Amino acid sequence: MFLPQDTSRQTISGLSIHISDKEDYCVSEDNFGNKKLYGLIEGTHDRFNVTISGEAQTGLDIFEEYTANPSAYAFLKAQTPLTAAGDCIRKYHRNLELEKIAGDYDKALCMMNTLHYTFTYDTEATEVHETAENALALGRGVCQDYAHIMLSLLRMEGIPARYVVGMTLGEGASHAWVEALCNGYWYGFDPTDNKLVNADYIRVSCGRDSSDCAVIRGNFYGCVTQRQTEKVTVSEKEQEHD
Amino acid sequence: MKELIKNAETINRLLARYGVKFGIYKDGTFKEQLFPFDPIPRIISNGEFQYLEKGLKQRVNALNCFLSDIYGEKRIVRDGVIPEEFIYSAKGFLPPCDGVTPPKNIYSHISGIDLVQSKDDNWYILEDNLRVPSGASYPMIARELQRRSAPDAFSSNSVIDNRNYADMLKEVMDYVNTGGINVILSPGRYNAAFFEHSYLAEKTGAVLSTGKEIVCENDRLYYIDYLGRKQRVGAVYRRISDEYLDPMTFYEDSVIGIPHIFEAYKKGNVALLNAPGNGVADDKGIYYFVPKMIKYYLGEDAILKNAPTYLPYYEDDMRYVLDKFDNLVIKDVAEAGGYGVVFGSSLSKEKKEAFIQLLKSEPRRFIAQEVIDFYDLDILGTDGTQVPRKADLRAFVLTDGETKVWPSGLTRFSRNPDSFIVNSSQGGGFKDTWVLSR
Repeated sequence: MFLPQDTSRQTISGLSIHISDKEDYCVSEDNFGNKKLYGLIEGTHDRFNVTISGEAQTGLDIFEEYTANPSAYAFLKAQTPLTAAGDCIRKYHRNLELEKIAGDYDKALCMMNTLHYTFTYDTEATEVHETAENALALGRGVCQDYAHIMLSLLRMEGIPARYVVGMTLGEGASHAWVEALCNGYWYGFDPTDNKLVNADYIRVSCGRDSSDCAVIRGNFYGCVTQRQTEKVTVSEKEQEHD
Repeated sequence: MKELIKNAETINRLLARYGVKFGIYKDGTFKEQLFPFDPIPRIISNGEFQYLEKGLKQRVNALNCFLSDIYGEKRIVRDGVIPEEFIYSAKGFLPPCDGVTPPKNIYSHISGIDLVQSKDDNWYILEDNLRVPSGASYPMIARELQRRSAPDAFSSNSVIDNRNYADMLKEVMDYVNTGGINVILSPGRYNAAFFEHSYLAEKTGAVLSTGKEIVCENDRLYYIDYLGRKQRVGAVYRRISDEYLDPMTFYEDSVIGIPHIFEAYKKGNVALLNAPGNGVADDKGIYYFVPKMIKYYLGEDAILKNAPTYLPYYEDDMRYVLDKFDNLVIKDVAEAGGYGVVFGSSLSKEKKEAFIQLLKSEPRRFIAQEVIDFYDLDILGTDGTQVPRKADLRAFVLTDGETKVWPSGLTRFSRNPDSFIVNSSQGGGFKDTWVLSR
């Protein structure tokens, strides 16, 4: 389970964490900078709940400046099994005629805009582990599919890009978008809503693709039917003035 | 020698009784096969072994430097010695390992380096195995049985005693151990090398375990014994591939791994042998760059040569490969165990054209090598006469404070007279390997 954390764009405060039947847990940071919460329950149990609440202050510095050793993030240029381009994505990429656009940022904008209008939002069409290539062939999918396709296109252009999981204002499930490294800054693009990431977005985790940032991951021994539900609520709070 | 040949059948029968088998998955079913043993040993003179030893140590040291660099500063990429496509698109490069330093900064503790000797007596490196190289137990037990059947053969021929492998292995485990017991982690009895796991555990005094008997609590690893007692684990010689090691970090559906073992490792609370992520260094695409690595990290020229290799990724090499296609062997970099190997001359015209198309569309996926004319070794034929067969040698190189080469190895041969492929998964057999003390 990932915890949202401070970035140049958001500060997190007053986190409260409740895990069913469990007092202690471990925390670790992975190499994408995500903070991960994890642990082990040895006894028998028939449910497992995690509730995390807190406050996020967003809309700080707009974009994260890129300072690390350039080769440290070079693997974000490589496709993963979920984003690997097949014939469908290659054709789509050709039709974008990106060679006519100067600058990585404008290329990314073009991808986001085109994808938003040519791909249909549909919660029934794709599965959890759908590849970008399959999703594009179907022409429909959810935010995860939008993000994977855009990652594939960005990486074809040699632009380092990462998958981001987070929350947006309102109630529902978690959301996904992408961040691309253009001109020394990480910019957030949300192809599902055709929006540049702004103060309405709270970032939780990032990685090469969705499999690096699943909201929750775990396993158990037992022979039962499993049901998982996820609920995200984000409401606005006015900044308090002194 | 006569004595050894006379006892060959008995030894094969004993090997079968001890369960010296390997398993293969074919068409979705698991089959166990005996690993046929040939009584005529491969003999390596002392001078020749010293040369191999020097070259192997050099190679493994450079590979360890490379792994430490790739998961650290990445100087070799920055300095343009290896193009980044070859690193980050390699299946074996594991981003979760980036920035993680293993105990004592050793990545490849047990390296299996495959070599062949050509007809002109030169040795060539065929491939490096830095993940979970198997096979040391086969020559170990064969030697043990042969010593019983013909004890004089070994002293009268001045053969170096190779029964020290288990001690060498134990020293390596103890050296990186972070406090606690040594464990050999096996996927279980249906694994291809289960005999080896149990044999090495017995010989090194390590605990043989599957993932189910080990838990990770508060970033520490514990082995739970048959009475439910917990014992801290300090080193895990894991015979499970990276993908299956930790369902929380790698392949999520793995049921043979240990959840969160990677976190314990990352925090320095347990040593994993070999370190996860080593696949980036024994990738067939990276193989091409090993001599450059030796130069880059050690400032030395490579003592042992690679088989002449071409990367279609480079335009010049692509031209050469297309030109000399029929003389070359093409390997898919993602495959192992003798799969994905194509001899240019063996393809029909249509197949060849289709293959060249594939090669052009995915140049990064293949390497091409000159076919080496192997030096043949005699084996005992079914009618009792000696017949020549292609053979290779897997040398075992162990690294703790220093790097050592086991004075023996696994000599595998092809049972098919026309085949160059010696892998046990493709039906090959094995021989004892004698290193002489003079």
